[in-house]
This record gives sequence, C-alpha cells and structure tokens, in this order.
Amino acid sequence: MNRIIKVARMQLINKATFIGIPLMILGASFLFTLSIWWLVRRNGGDGELYGGGAQAPMWYFLALGIQALTVTFPFSMAMSISRRTFYLGTVALFSVCALILSVFYYLMGLLEVATGGWGTGGQFFALRWIADNSAPVQILFYFVLMVLLFMLGFLVATIYMRWRTTGMAVFFISLGLVVLGIIALFTFNDLWEQFWSWALTWSAAGVTLWGGLTALLMAGGSYLTLRKATA
Amino acid sequence: MSRTTAIAVRELSKTYKDVRALDNVTLDLEPDRIYGLLGRNGAGKTTLMSILTGQNYADQGTAEIFGHAPFEHDPTLSRICFIRESQKYPDDFKVHQAFKSAALFFENWNEELAQELVEAFELPTKRRIKKLSRGQLSAVGVIIGMASRADITFFDEPYLGLDAVARQIFYDRLVEDFAECPRTIVLSSHLIDEVANLLEHVIVIDKGRIVIDSDAEQLRGTAVTVTGDAAKVQEFIGSAPVIHRDALGALSSVTIRAKLDESQREQAKLMGLDLSPVSLQQLVVRSALSSVTEQGIDERTEARK
Repeated sequence: MNRIIKVARMQLINKATFIGIPLMILGASFLFTLSIWWLVRRNGGDGELYGGGAQAPMWYFLALGIQALTVTFPFSMAMSISRRTFYLGTVALFSVCALILSVFYYLMGLLEVATGGWGTGGQFFALRWIADNSAPVQILFYFVLMVLLFMLGFLVATIYMRWRTTGMAVFFISLGLVVLGIIALFTFNDLWEQFWSWALTWSAAGVTLWGGLTALLMAGGSYLTLRKATA
Repeated sequence: MSRTTAIAVRELSKTYKDVRALDNVTLDLEPDRIYGLLGRNGAGKTTLMSILTGQNYADQGTAEIFGHAPFEHDPTLSRICFIRESQKYPDDFKVHQAFKSAALFFENWNEELAQELVEAFELPTKRRIKKLSRGQLSAVGVIIGMASRADITFFDEPYLGLDAVARQIFYDRLVEDFAECPRTIVLSSHLIDEVANLLEHVIVIDKGRIVIDSDAEQLRGTAVTVTGDAAKVQEFIGSAPVIHRDALGALSSVTIRAKLDESQREQAKLMGLDLSPVSLQQLVVRSALSSVTEQGIDERTEARK
C-alpha cells in the first residue's frame, strides 16, 4: 500500500504534468470562450451561446495516459516498482485528479448559472444536457469522461510497451476493421436513421453508465497487458 | 555455504525471436561480494540482469533473489537496484527530481553520498535529464546505483561516456562505499582490464552461456603464457590445454590453462622460456574466442593463426 502512494508521489514530483497543465488548458480555453462571447454580444448577437472548451483538458488526459506509461513506466522499473504497484498508483492518482476536476466543473457550472453565464448568457460548464441532471450524475459524467480518455491512452500505450510496433499495427488495423464492419452493417441495412434517432435519446446518466463500463473494461485490459510488459 | 545465497539462477533460458539470449544459465551469487559480469556486446549480460531484477522474464528456468522470484514481488524488488545502460527517465524530469524519486523508493538511500557524488562528477542537478551528455547520463545512473545502497546493486556498463577521471572516481568511490556498507554488487562490463582490480568474482557470459564462473584470484593464476623457441615451448607445455597460440618464425608464444608450481617455473627458466601472467581481459577474450571455435564457426581462422 505504502509503495502505491509512493508511485503517486513520484508522478507528482513534476507538479505541472498532473495539475498545472490541465488547469492552464482549462483556464486558457475558458478565457478565450468568454472573450468570443463578449465580442458576439457586443456586436448585438443574440440567441444561445455554447462553448465546447470545457472538454479541452480532457483531451490532454488522453496524452497524459500515453505519457504516464511510455515515459514513466521504464523509469518506475528502475525504481524497483512492480508493474502492479505502478499501475495502481498511477490510476489511483489520476482518478483523484479527475474527481477533483469533476467537482470543480460542477461548482463552476453552478457559478455559471448563478451569474447568468458570466454575464453573457453563454454555457461553458453548465451545458444544459448535463446541467439538468442531479449533482452526482453531473460529477460522475465528467469523471467518467476523463477516466475514459485517460484509460484509452493508457491502454494504447500498454499495448505499445508490450508488443511495440507490431502491437500498434494489429490493434489499429483490427479497430479499423471493426469500425468499417459496423458502418457497412448499418449502411447495408439502412439503419442510420434509426441509429441517430436512438442516439438523440441518450441521457447523461446513460452515457455515464456505459462510459464507466467501457473505462472499466479498458482498465482491466491495460492491467493484463502491463503485467508482462518490459521497459 | 552457511549464509543464504543472494542470487540463485537455475537453468535459465530466454529467446528473442531467433536469438538465444540466455542458454541454460545456472549461477549462485553470494551476498556482500563484488561480481563482474563480463562478456561481449550482445552476450546476454543485460538480459540476465533484467530477469534477475524482474524487469523481464525467462522462457525457462528460475531466478531467485534471497530465495524469492523477483517478478512482480515488491518486497524482493525493493532490495534491488538496477539502472540500465539505456535507462529512460520521464521527459520533464530534472536530475534532482530523479534523485528525489529514488529517495522515495530505496529505503537505504543515502542523500549525503548522492550529494558527494554529484559534486565529484560535476553534475548539473537543475538541468533536464533529456539535455545531459552521455557521460552525465551515465553519472545519474551511477549515483542512483551507489546512493540507493540496495542489498543487490547492478551496474550496467556504468562508465559509458564518462571520461577517465570520472571513471576512476566511480571505481574508487565504489570500493570505498563497499567497505563502509558491504552489499552484493554486480558490475557488467566489457572494459575488463579497467574493472579487473575491483572484482572478487568473475562471471563470463558468451552467446548466452556461462563460460567462466570463478573467483577472481583463482582465475588470475589459472593461465600462463609461455614464450620462447617453438620446439622448447611445445616440449614444456606438453598436453596442457591451449587457449591461444602465436608464432613468429622460430619463436612461439602459447597461452595454456595450467597452474604452474615452483619446480615447473624453475624448469621453464632452465629451458630459456619466458613465463608471463595472463590479464583477466586476455583470459576472457581468449575464452570467448575459443568458445566460438568449439562451436566450429570460426575453426579455420583460428587454425591459420
């Protein structure tokens, strides 16, 4: 247990990676969005204003998942840490960071509503589709999304660490084939209209549930892959 | 052997695609000694150390550290330190951050020693590891290895890129620190003469096989080079196993595997033959070469000599 916490501390030695950079990305995209909204309103634009900038740090988590592995894993081997301990420490640290950031999103959403969209009527944190849900669902939704992206990066990186280029080729070609197969299936059976109308019925809670399950599957997959990876 | 064995390896084999990196390796390493793991590039040194430290795994056989397989076993791993020759560090890490991290995981970490070594190697600790020269990078590995004071410490070609002064600092400090705090040290190297004086025990690996596993003192006396008139040399060496043969006209110089006693030495003198000791490096090089010939790959070139 002790060593798992030490792994988290090792990942945090460079505070920018897990804390500084995500906050910087979020701050920058938020300020950019606000400036644009302000310009829009100033020029007499009306109607609803949405901003997708809140997802910006989440994409960084994809890169973080890859980086935590390809760069830190070989170093953790030199620190005489077992793969299991490395995995648990890294995932635990990330989960804590993601949870804090999710709560922050939720609180910023409340503030956004209270201030009338920062005085511009825009929606950055409190997108209505999400903000209409209860607090736990909102927080969990953000959390699952972040973990999902991190795990995706983590899984791809473990496959690389274990099977290198061959692993990457097999993984992405298989993924391509599966996606192509699904598209073909939908196209031949004229299922697209049905699919889109079904997609519109998705709720934030449903996405959270299925996203959470996918993240768990990926977490299991990357753990099993990492168990025999070499630096 | 009353004390527990530090490292016990039994019939260990590992194959990478078509390369047999380790071939049926069996070894016992005692605690608190300095071992030399010698061999050519690609002989299997790093593979062996990776398996011993749980960073890699074998296809066959077992490796135990203090009686326990190291793979994925934290209590065992925490007693080992192994910095690779090509060790990767997190991209954004500065030198002092790598040391801070090592201090977290190695319980016996000696910060004072680390600082002394930083000064001795003139290492810029605020610089990013990515930006270090090859020699400075080696110094980071050497410092982590020494200051960790792990029960078993592996040094993987630790001198790469280090200048002569820095290498001497490493050898001197290693001996000093070993005296103060004995532990099992495995030094992998292909610069054999440079490390010869440090070693208490020598293991030579070639093409994944152990060709020498012997006490260093004993090994030094096991071979001798006899030089002089070709016919007399032949008469003197008799049927002793020949490791190497050089000829120049009527003169010949033959290295044999034999331990000479006083009377034999006296006899050589009377026959007008010169006896010279064989350096560890020569012995290793010759052993490696003769293991090549044994496999019949290089027989003709050897015969022509």
